[in-house]
Amino acid sequence: MEKLTIIFITLISFQIAAQTPISGKVFNTKNEPINGANIYLEGTYDGSTSLEDGSFSFRTSETGTQTLVVSFLSYETFTMIGDVTFMKDVTVKLHDDVNTLDAVVLSAGTFSAGDNSKVNVLKPLDVVTTASALGDFVGALQTLPGTTTVAEDGRLFVRGGDANETQIFIDGIRVFTPYSPTTNNAPTRGRYSPFLFDGITFSTGGYSAEFGQALSSVLLLNTVNEPDQEKTDIGIMSVGATLGNTQKWEKSSLSVNASYINLAPYNAIFKNRNDWIKPFETASGEAVFRKQTRSGLFKLYGAFDTTNFELTQEDINEPEGAYFKLNNNNFYVNGSYQGDLNDTWTLFGGLSYTRAKNNLDIINSDINDDENSLHAKLKLKNRISNRFKLYFGAEYFATDYNETYADETVSKERYGYNNNIAAAYAEADIFISKKMAFKTGLRVEYSELFKEFTLAPRVSLAYKTNDKSQVSLAYGNFYQNPSSNILKFNQVLKAENTSHYIFNYQYNADRKLFRAEAYYKNYNNLVKYDTDFASFDSNYNSNGSGFARGIDFFWRDSKSIKNFDYWMSYSFLDTERDYQNYLTKAQPNFANTHNVSLVGKYWVDKWRSQVGFSYAYASGRTFTNPNKTGFLNDKTKDFNSLSLNWAYLISPQKILYASVNNVLGFKNINGYQYANTPNANGNFNRRALQPATDQFFFVGFFWTISEDKKSNQLDNL
Amino acid sequence: MKKLIIIVTLLISGFVSAQTNYDKGMQKAFELWSTNQAIEASNLFERIATAEPDNWLPLYYAAQINITSSFGERDEQKLSAKLKKAQNLINDATAISKENPEILVLQALLHTAWVAFDGATYGMTLSGKVVELYTKANMLAPKNPRVVYCKAEWDIGGAKYFGQDTTPFCKDLQRSLELFANFKPETVFHPNWGADRVKMLLESCEK
Repeated sequence: MEKLTIIFITLISFQIAAQTPISGKVFNTKNEPINGANIYLEGTYDGSTSLEDGSFSFRTSETGTQTLVVSFLSYETFTMIGDVTFMKDVTVKLHDDVNTLDAVVLSAGTFSAGDNSKVNVLKPLDVVTTASALGDFVGALQTLPGTTTVAEDGRLFVRGGDANETQIFIDGIRVFTPYSPTTNNAPTRGRYSPFLFDGITFSTGGYSAEFGQALSSVLLLNTVNEPDQEKTDIGIMSVGATLGNTQKWEKSSLSVNASYINLAPYNAIFKNRNDWIKPFETASGEAVFRKQTRSGLFKLYGAFDTTNFELTQEDINEPEGAYFKLNNNNFYVNGSYQGDLNDTWTLFGGLSYTRAKNNLDIINSDINDDENSLHAKLKLKNRISNRFKLYFGAEYFATDYNETYADETVSKERYGYNNNIAAAYAEADIFISKKMAFKTGLRVEYSELFKEFTLAPRVSLAYKTNDKSQVSLAYGNFYQNPSSNILKFNQVLKAENTSHYIFNYQYNADRKLFRAEAYYKNYNNLVKYDTDFASFDSNYNSNGSGFARGIDFFWRDSKSIKNFDYWMSYSFLDTERDYQNYLTKAQPNFANTHNVSLVGKYWVDKWRSQVGFSYAYASGRTFTNPNKTGFLNDKTKDFNSLSLNWAYLISPQKILYASVNNVLGFKNINGYQYANTPNANGNFNRRALQPATDQFFFVGFFWTISEDKKSNQLDNL
Repeated sequence: MKKLIIIVTLLISGFVSAQTNYDKGMQKAFELWSTNQAIEASNLFERIATAEPDNWLPLYYAAQINITSSFGERDEQKLSAKLKKAQNLINDATAISKENPEILVLQALLHTAWVAFDGATYGMTLSGKVVELYTKANMLAPKNPRVVYCKAEWDIGGAKYFGQDTTPFCKDLQRSLELFANFKPETVFHPNWGADRVKMLLESCEK
């Protein structure tokens, strides 16, 4: 056999002899020889592999002008065009491919979850397997540093910003009403099912010029491009049920999802601080349709949900309690197309429309609001090279908001506003080398409401200090028009403004990640008014200001302990602002100085179970104690909560899931409500604002029926 | 097994005079592969691919070498570089030959390499994709022995994990062996690997 091989090789080599020789050496940028590189003349069979010292040589029968190609894993491919007779003793320098796993990442401010590229803080399933999150994508993000614990609210409060300063985008298109309505003592949830998304990017500052109208943070959710398989998902939970189905065709697919939640049985079993007349009930439906075109992908996402509840809550100023009734209908549709125009240009176009209707009865007043919002966006990407990419885009936001108010003294009062904003941006990504990268951009916005232009520059830079660590810097200027709570009463204002300065250090070793990020933010043009609540008779101005500074730490380790994956976050926040009806600059009541979060997941192979915990600690929040002098002059006790969960994989298709929030039953206090008038001793009585329930129990059974199961049975016949 | 292919290939080609560049190149590449020169073999397959832009086979084998060598790789950077390269080769091969069961099987193996590297992270996200690929391949070519055996091997892994009975899948393996016996590749260079591994797997089935 060996002889035969030798004969054979000799035969080949014989034929190749008497041709033009080509030779040279391959190095990397550090002048180290590269072994194993592929060297060949394009479109021919002639070539070779470089040896240990980087040298190569082969012969070719080709003549005249040819293209010499040198390629190797993790390096950019080298090409040289010339006459074959000149391809002798060629020295080839291969440059690092900047798209590899170990290249520098523009990471300041950003946490990403999802695909198997680059640095992922969260894994795709973390959203549904984090003990405290209860399957809510927002809940899982609240275990990351930079967020503050506002337990009764549930929205994202980022780095001293209030919840309105965080904007959520699905496939790059704005979601105007991302949260489900709830009572004021129970946290809200994201409206959308976490299973529809396969990539989440959460930026806590310094983000790209592509995103505007967000002062503190953006959360980017990407829907699945192509579902894995045709399947039916059934979920039966202690609070309701879900049903989903995915169909695939040759070039397209459709996923639909419906869910129904009713807290009546739960409230009947477990004590609740609210006096329910009609318990929380919500029905929702979502659908995603995807179609692949010749060079692109079209996606259409639609969601509808309707929520209602009615209750009486304890109130220190209302002896019979405060009556509250809500009916909410929300419709959202989002269509987008992304496609390649040619090798270097990519086009993205998208449009979303939101219709949100609320019908509220609060004590004796009747409020109806109706929001119609639209976002249209067009962006172009030009990949000039792996190292230089340009982005341009233009977008238009339109909101038409109308509200009516009626009570015993006011007969139906109508008011509202139109908030339309046009924006354009340009941005460049520049990789100097595998070690150093820049991103720089500029965003221009024009507000039709304020007749005002704003200009927002953004810059970030990252430098790799060694194999495993890098430092990043980011600066950005951000504008956002005031929220509907203000605009519905007054439209003679300015866009609120903030600047971010961020310094980030990141260490990323084999399944271990450490991040530390220090930041400073200053706020200008915040809206102020002179009454207890924003109202039609308040006087408004844009003279508010504030600052936030702090440092965030994050550590995740999936390696040291077998089958155990955990992360820890700590955030220190120092913030003061003078806005709304504040008498002076003060620490707002949604900002905790210290926030700690600990999440662990242990996979018990023998039981095919994942058991997890998450612990949250937050230092006290400010409130105004009228029995003392000053404003926001007192603090609540610290917040503590430990949650546990258990997921049991019965079979590849069936999962049993159970969780308990605040298993130790900490009696947390979110703030205090004081009486409007002092008691006989001249003191103001108070009532602690506590969550609707201290603990929450959840049990669910989830069953996926895939088409494959059928095909399997058929095989065995 | 690979050796067998080469011996056969060499024997056949040895007697055929006036070989084309393609035949010579492919033979040489298989020979390098069988003599543990995987990088050289993969490089040669890639070179052939650039010279034969309408042929999916050299791309297929270049991808297969990168995938096979990534099983057991513990360095995530190296693994990711190899599998990224393999993915690009598979994409190019798919562009030439759509709905090709052999390429679908290779794609499933690529995902399996990620699952083997870090089951906790990729197991739950890629399993569905793997199952779907085998289902599709099975629809296209129910009599292809590699489709049957790779699917069976994947199913055995799952069944063992969930403490389920592996007998039906072992039967599939047995069936694939019969299919191997009757399988006639389109040309000598078309995929014809796998029978050796099936015999090995069947041994563990009998235990």
